[in-house]
Amino acid sequence: MNLKIVVASIIIVGALIFGASTFLESNIEYMDFERAQTVNKKVQVKGKWVKEKEAKFDAAKSQFTFYMVDDNEQEVKVVLDGAKPNNFDIATEVVAKGRFKDGYFHANELLTKCPSKYEGDGAAVKKTL
Amino acid sequence: MFGAAIIKIAFASSILSTVLYFLVHRNPSEQMKKIARLFYELAVVGIITASAFLLYFILTHQFQYYYVWNYSSTDLPLSLLISTFYAGQEGSFMLWALYTGIIGLILLRYTAKRGYEAEFMAVFSAIFSFLILMLVVKNPFKPIWEQFSTELLHVGEIPANITSYIWVDQARSLWAQVPQEGKGLNALLQNYWMVIHPQILFTGFTSMSIPFAYAVAAMLKKDYVSWIRVATPWTVFGSMMLGTGIILGGYWAYETLGWGGYWGWDPVENSSLVPWLVCVASIHTMLAQRKNGTYIKTNFVLSMFCFILVLYSTFLTRSGVLGETSVHSFVDPGMWVYWLLLLVIGLFTALGFGLLFSRWKEMPVVPVQHTLVSREFALFLGASSLVFASIFILIGTSSPIITNILKGKISAVDPSFYVTTTLPLGVAIALLAGIGQLLWWQNSKTDALLKQLLLPAGLAALFTVVTFIMGATHLSMIIFIFASAFALFTNTIVGLKIIQGNPKMAGGAIAHIGIALMFLGFVASAKYDNVKTLNLEQGKSVEALGYTMKYVGYQPMERGRFGFNVEVEKDGHKFIVTPVMFKESEEGSLIRNPDIVNMLTKDFYVSPLSLEVPEGGQHNHEVTLLKGKTETYEGMQITYKGYDFSQTKEKGNYLVTTIEVVRDGKKEIVRPTMSNKGGQPTFTEASLNNSEIAFLIKGMNPSKNENEASITIEVKGIHDEGKPQGPKAETLVIEASVKPYINLVWMGTALLIAGFLITIVRRIQEVSKK
Repeated sequence: MNLKIVVASIIIVGALIFGASTFLESNIEYMDFERAQTVNKKVQVKGKWVKEKEAKFDAAKSQFTFYMVDDNEQEVKVVLDGAKPNNFDIATEVVAKGRFKDGYFHANELLTKCPSKYEGDGAAVKKTL
Repeated sequence: MFGAAIIKIAFASSILSTVLYFLVHRNPSEQMKKIARLFYELAVVGIITASAFLLYFILTHQFQYYYVWNYSSTDLPLSLLISTFYAGQEGSFMLWALYTGIIGLILLRYTAKRGYEAEFMAVFSAIFSFLILMLVVKNPFKPIWEQFSTELLHVGEIPANITSYIWVDQARSLWAQVPQEGKGLNALLQNYWMVIHPQILFTGFTSMSIPFAYAVAAMLKKDYVSWIRVATPWTVFGSMMLGTGIILGGYWAYETLGWGGYWGWDPVENSSLVPWLVCVASIHTMLAQRKNGTYIKTNFVLSMFCFILVLYSTFLTRSGVLGETSVHSFVDPGMWVYWLLLLVIGLFTALGFGLLFSRWKEMPVVPVQHTLVSREFALFLGASSLVFASIFILIGTSSPIITNILKGKISAVDPSFYVTTTLPLGVAIALLAGIGQLLWWQNSKTDALLKQLLLPAGLAALFTVVTFIMGATHLSMIIFIFASAFALFTNTIVGLKIIQGNPKMAGGAIAHIGIALMFLGFVASAKYDNVKTLNLEQGKSVEALGYTMKYVGYQPMERGRFGFNVEVEKDGHKFIVTPVMFKESEEGSLIRNPDIVNMLTKDFYVSPLSLEVPEGGQHNHEVTLLKGKTETYEGMQITYKGYDFSQTKEKGNYLVTTIEVVRDGKKEIVRPTMSNKGGQPTFTEASLNNSEIAFLIKGMNPSKNENEASITIEVKGIHDEGKPQGPKAETLVIEASVKPYINLVWMGTALLIAGFLITIVRRIQEVSKK
């Protein structure tokens, strides 16, 4: 009986350590561009995309390039692997996940925050009158 | 309003029913039990009536209700219009409450026959009350002018041009304008999956509350053993419904949302997977308890967690705590829902576990009699693996909350977290699903077991070698494939024997075959898929992944969508795939739907990325010039001066225009011409001196008023230095992929569901005999 408890606790503790370390490893840290430039790992940066500058899809490389300012108003060119995200045009805020490379931020994932278009706002109701 | 009043009445009567049922439990009384039953039925009738009202308001486009306005519109086809019933928070709680109420009517009779009515219905009715309470807080019948009082509420005379209005308070001449159109259903949801998937998923959510209610009822009755028999069919039913709902969601994502896969480890997907895993684990420990009475406490804990985790899942996905980390866009429903959900989780957890700890001492302790080489122990290990998997997924999914508490910022884990943590457990589950079938209860003889292992293990090894040759060479995958194949062969061998004996008992073997096939399908279609981004220039064949593809053009489809036709050729067979892209609204998001060629051994999956229109084409380098007015274009000042018209035999109608161009300070005159002979217009371009830049007439817009006459010209030969060269022809950019053996996933799912179904029938017959 005692042996069973020992074995079981070892398994449980082992599993928890395994889970916790994987969790910490795969949890992507939030930071601004300034810090992101100094660390060589996958991070995520929150900011806005610069509507005045070009945002285009390069079909040959299948990359989407745009400019983004973080919360400290630092502007950085972002190259995203893949096509323009669905909600990009209406996004008020974006989160880029990736790392710095040769002076630009190479993102492999882009999250978009949209104005709460599914919650009725005054402008929307006026359109349907 | 009427609808809201019915909901409040339903809430009151379900609360009353809970209290009365509890009193009956304390002090048995047939009279009072009948009253409690009546109040429960009244509450159900109330929710059915309220649902009917909501549906009626949706079908008749009564946009004076905020919910109807917010999610539906007049242009939706009937099936989608009906589905807007549960497109938003309020309506989906309504659907959940509706199904809970109706299943409760069945359970009422089921438990009454088995002497469990008072205790079970007391708990179940409490759960029903909670769902109705959500509707009291988030009222689906909220008038639209309460949401938009500044825009819609007015005092005084109604202007003659306003035809759509409602008197809010005629005595105070208060009236509200009512929209004539609704905001419509989110374009992503506008397909047939929206009609079926939420219904099944919410039936699954509903059925997860049954094991909880049984567990609590059993503890109230101090029945720690026989409740398992009564509860088992429902636990299996819950697993079947929720499992079906989850996989349908995956198929929806795969088939229409174009995420490229059927599973993205998204919080919304995960949070319904977690209670499912726990529920499936409890099926296994319940089986062990039926056989030899062990795992009494484990079964209480797991059964209660089925529902508590559904509540937690609801909290995660509905309260706004996930922030922007999920692709499912949920609007922050406000603090009310947030705190109410937290309160309810706390309440039900406290109720269940409070009771468990108070009964802990008196629960019988059955000494473990089985050895390590027994079916019980395999069941226990299998259930543990499922529970560990659910814990890992739960932790990963809760990452936004954990990081928010620890670091003050919301961030999600990388999807690789889930793969890394669940893969070893998947291997364990597969191996146990195989070995478990070969073991005897209590104790197995090791040498007999080894003998039985030989054939399936040998076949699995052979299978693994074949897949290795086919290209599955990653070590982790070799192990996973071997384990899954072992489960497949063992259960097939055992299953065939059972079917010859008593087919009713084959549920377990069939479900395990299903799981094994799903695992193999996951490996093949997700790990060994082949993805390529391709530029398909219109009319030109492109070869990739063993297929020849040609983009042949697009056509408009129903409801403002565009289909892009791609001819796919493989070994002489031709298919047309038509992925779809369209703008949800003028400033809305771009929606992309893939198209799939289904083949027996693989899917060919075409996901549209974008349509590139040639630069220098129609839209980009055309200028319209008003006569005499100078336009600046690409650094040139261009002025249309006028034209000379002549009619000759050789040229027919002949028109020479005069255009003045100032470029780099130098003035030049160019004369592009247009002639028309026999109805065939011919255009001749005119170029600038020493330059590639040329002008071509595209259209003349003569006017009686000289100053309004204009001409449209195309400016050719502009090279944008530094800018990337655009494509020469219209180009469709796609992501093409081959998903090998994805049919195994769907086939496995069907078998898993069939296995559940057979088990339900068997267990119901068993419990009915008594």
